[in-house]
Amino acid sequence: MANSPVMKFNPLTLKKIRRFKSIRRGYYSFLIFIVMICVSLFAETMINKRALIVHYEGEYYFPTYGDMIPGTVFGLDYDYETNYRQLGKQFEAQGKGNWILMPVVPYDAYENDLRENEYPPFPPSLKDRHYLGTDTVGRDIVARLVYGFRIAIFFSLALLLVNYTAGVSIGSAMGFWGGRFDLFFQRIIEIWSNIPFLYVIIIISSIVVPNFFMLIVIMAFFGWIGMTWTMRTVTYKEKEREYVIAAKALGASDWRIIFKHIIPNTVAIIVTFAPFSVSGGIVALTSLDYLGFGLPPPTPSWGELLQQGWANMSAWWIVGSVVTAMVLTLLTVTFIGEAVREAFDPKLHTTYE
Amino acid sequence: MLLTPFGKKACLRRKILSEVILKIKNLVTAFDTESGRIRAVDDVSFEVKQGQTLGIVGESGCGKSVTSLSIMRLLPKPAGIIESGEILFQDKDIVRTDPDKMHKIRGNRISMIFQEPMTALNPVHKIGKQIGEVFRLHYSEMNKKEIQEKSLEMLHKVGIPDPEKRMGEYPHQISGGMRQRVMIAMALACEPDILIADEPTTALDVTIQAQILELMKQLQRDIGMTIIFITHDLGVIAEMCDEVVVMYAGKVAETASVSDLFKNPSHPYTKGLLSSMPRLEYPRKMKLNVIKGMVPSLYELPRGCRFQNRCPYFQAVCETEPPMKSVGENHFSCCHFENLKLETRNSKLETRNSKFETRNSDQISSFKLQVSNLKMHFPVYGGVFWRKIGKVYAVDGVSFNVRTGETLGLVGESGCGKTTVGRAILRIYDPTEGDVLFEGKNMSLLGRKALRDLRRDMQMIFQDPFESLNSRHTIGDILEEPFIIHGVGSPEERKSKVRQLLNRVGISQDAVTRFPHEFSGGQRQRIGIARAIALDPKLMICDEPVSALDVSVQSQILNLLLELQQDMGLTYVFIAHDLAVVKHISDHIAVMYLGKIVEYADADTIYEKAMHPYTQTLISAIPVPDPSVKKQTRILAGDVPSPINPPSGCRFHTRCPIMTEQCKHEEPKLRIAPGSVGEGHLVACHRAGEVKSEK
Repeated sequence: MANSPVMKFNPLTLKKIRRFKSIRRGYYSFLIFIVMICVSLFAETMINKRALIVHYEGEYYFPTYGDMIPGTVFGLDYDYETNYRQLGKQFEAQGKGNWILMPVVPYDAYENDLRENEYPPFPPSLKDRHYLGTDTVGRDIVARLVYGFRIAIFFSLALLLVNYTAGVSIGSAMGFWGGRFDLFFQRIIEIWSNIPFLYVIIIISSIVVPNFFMLIVIMAFFGWIGMTWTMRTVTYKEKEREYVIAAKALGASDWRIIFKHIIPNTVAIIVTFAPFSVSGGIVALTSLDYLGFGLPPPTPSWGELLQQGWANMSAWWIVGSVVTAMVLTLLTVTFIGEAVREAFDPKLHTTYE
Repeated sequence: MLLTPFGKKACLRRKILSEVILKIKNLVTAFDTESGRIRAVDDVSFEVKQGQTLGIVGESGCGKSVTSLSIMRLLPKPAGIIESGEILFQDKDIVRTDPDKMHKIRGNRISMIFQEPMTALNPVHKIGKQIGEVFRLHYSEMNKKEIQEKSLEMLHKVGIPDPEKRMGEYPHQISGGMRQRVMIAMALACEPDILIADEPTTALDVTIQAQILELMKQLQRDIGMTIIFITHDLGVIAEMCDEVVVMYAGKVAETASVSDLFKNPSHPYTKGLLSSMPRLEYPRKMKLNVIKGMVPSLYELPRGCRFQNRCPYFQAVCETEPPMKSVGENHFSCCHFENLKLETRNSKLETRNSKFETRNSDQISSFKLQVSNLKMHFPVYGGVFWRKIGKVYAVDGVSFNVRTGETLGLVGESGCGKTTVGRAILRIYDPTEGDVLFEGKNMSLLGRKALRDLRRDMQMIFQDPFESLNSRHTIGDILEEPFIIHGVGSPEERKSKVRQLLNRVGISQDAVTRFPHEFSGGQRQRIGIARAIALDPKLMICDEPVSALDVSVQSQILNLLLELQQDMGLTYVFIAHDLAVVKHISDHIAVMYLGKIVEYADADTIYEKAMHPYTQTLISAIPVPDPSVKKQTRILAGDVPSPINPPSGCRFHTRCPIMTEQCKHEEPKLRIAPGSVGEGHLVACHRAGEVKSEK
């Protein structure tokens, strides 16, 4: 309510968080997942064709973020973006005290590392700093994986947000007001859920090339249904409880009851569903990309890598790395989901002698 | 071996009466929780004799149920463990029995019935199959036909009408009382030596409770089994038991024979329990004795005597562990003090009784609430097109008036429509028909805005303090909400008002930032009351405000309600199923049956000169907490009929002991009771006055 700080946790919630922490597997998965997200956020400092630091004639340059620095700045004869890997070799050869610090993986996700007399995919090599090799057009796989993960995870989080906003508001409205409003939406949902999702995507993406936001809108178009059903059922249950009648007897308006009373009491369900929705989102995006209906190339994506790997089984490092990455990510998210569920409802796990 | 019902085993048993069959020695049952291990049962010892009924009584959280689950070895795993002690069943230690062998004892030698017959039966299996399962488990040599016959016989034995038909029905198709009978039939199928009954009648109505208690007594006579009866209701204890164990916070406070316990209670807790119950024969609106405070949480038990912080006789010595002293033959009390000393102090207690003056009786005040011909029908939907196929006649033409500052008690069994009346008065439901006049204003003519303003004057207190407070809000938020909704005061003013409210209902100020689950049931009910009085209402609907509470807390809340009425001049509509409680707090009582008022009178008149046969049975069905009173309980046959399809004529005629042909066809009007003057006593019965009440 108005004057209570929003983040004051109910001790019951604190207890759930404690319980969650005590489930080791889930808690560590959660920490790992957070680290993964943070790492992917700052991926530019680790995986980039731009140098981290350039020391050139007594001055320091930090090209990682910001505008591109043309080659002329460093005394090169071109004014497009500097090739730092080459520049580094040049500095070394000159030996004038200029130096350059490259990221761990000195390639970005879009760059084709092409060579003479050799054709990609190149196998993993420490010397070239392609730790997991390159794909069929010579792009570094580590870079593709990490940037692909970043896109996938933010895609599924955004999708989650959109789905839940729609699902929670429509679902609680259906449950609370019931009657014709509820009936109308029930029928809508029934019709809706019979629209073949894949065909719609195929049709749409054959007309326009979907971008990130459009893809979220299309996916949310079909994704809101699940949460709506759940919220409807939960709201039906909650609205019959006495605290709602108590609020009514005090003269509270419907909106107040929904937002102040019913929704806070359904948080447990919303939270329990979230991790599974996230993994669902990742899988959905990957499979769309695999089929070629997802984000347009050359966007880094796991689905596209998987597709390449499938087509080039002899280049085992492609399919091996992307499958491992997917399994690890999905496992992490699923462990989190399991732990959350157990933390919120420990009764399920009690047996009688 | 093919057993005949209640045959050999029973005969054998009767011969060895009064031998100890179950002996519990220093039992400690603990639970591992996140805040460490707690001992729910701590060093409990008692014994049960063959063929007797042992009662275990105490408030919730005292370890009664855990004791019984320990006997059955049915503790939730992995949290619950029997730490130490022995449970000797016919000289065999159950604690050290192999879990696989427990299957042979459970259900066969010791069986159990539970409080909730609704959840203890499996809803997807037919009744017949569930009973048959017991035989299949324990008598593998029986064939299908024998099982069928046996099951039928058992149903017959527990008094289920038309057992052949019931065998093929599912649990949801039969009533609560019937389900409890089925549970009993299942528990008794193998003629167990011991039947553990864990609050078997708590979820049932008084008239049904009377039926079940009678059935259990009769079956005990037939089979000669031993019963361990767990309840919080001292009245039931007095009626059923031979020996009583009073438990408090995981320990035994007192053990005695039932007559000793009620005649000379020795432990202060037992005394407190006995004196805090409202009784029918007590004068109305008297201040009840209370046991202050509440049962301590098992996490923060005081050192020494566990009752010390609630005990009126507390002294320094109580901080050491009290010994179990013998205070009479087979009478033990766990207290430092001797009986005599307590007796003298007790007399001081009695004199504290005083009466609440809630109303200036000289002055005939105006009507605060007038309800006329109120009807509330709920549609029933069904069929392929989900169309209206019927109606629930929840309330069907109810009229009454309540004067300012008075209390009207609405009493009746579950499903009689009393809660619906309360909610329809507040317009939480829109009445189908009829008028509700509040201070002369007709509420059904009011618009949304006017109705909202009127809600400041009418408030409600709910039955379940766990349900009626939103667990996601702090107490501060909950109490501030009425002010926010009606836009009263600035945030600072509201804060100080919240503090005043907490003060008024006796909750400490630091509650503001805490959440409902941190409080006990009684404290939550106080918070619910604080919320209801926040806006200075004039009328308060109390919907079973004390029926979810323990006896000692119940008296605290009743005192608080009477105090508030006295101070604020509140008008109450008090809805409850417990006639003793209603009579205690009310000025007038309306008895409801199946959506109609069957009798209306002064509270004292109802008790002394009830005219309607239903009221008379209600009164006689209440178990009296005094084993020396040998009253004739009138037992009503059958269940309350469904309000979807109420009986024709007089709605009570299907269960009425004095029914005539006229009752079947002609509906009796609520008329002035024969022999009374004015509109003070109304009754709806064709034969009112012909049959005298027993009192």
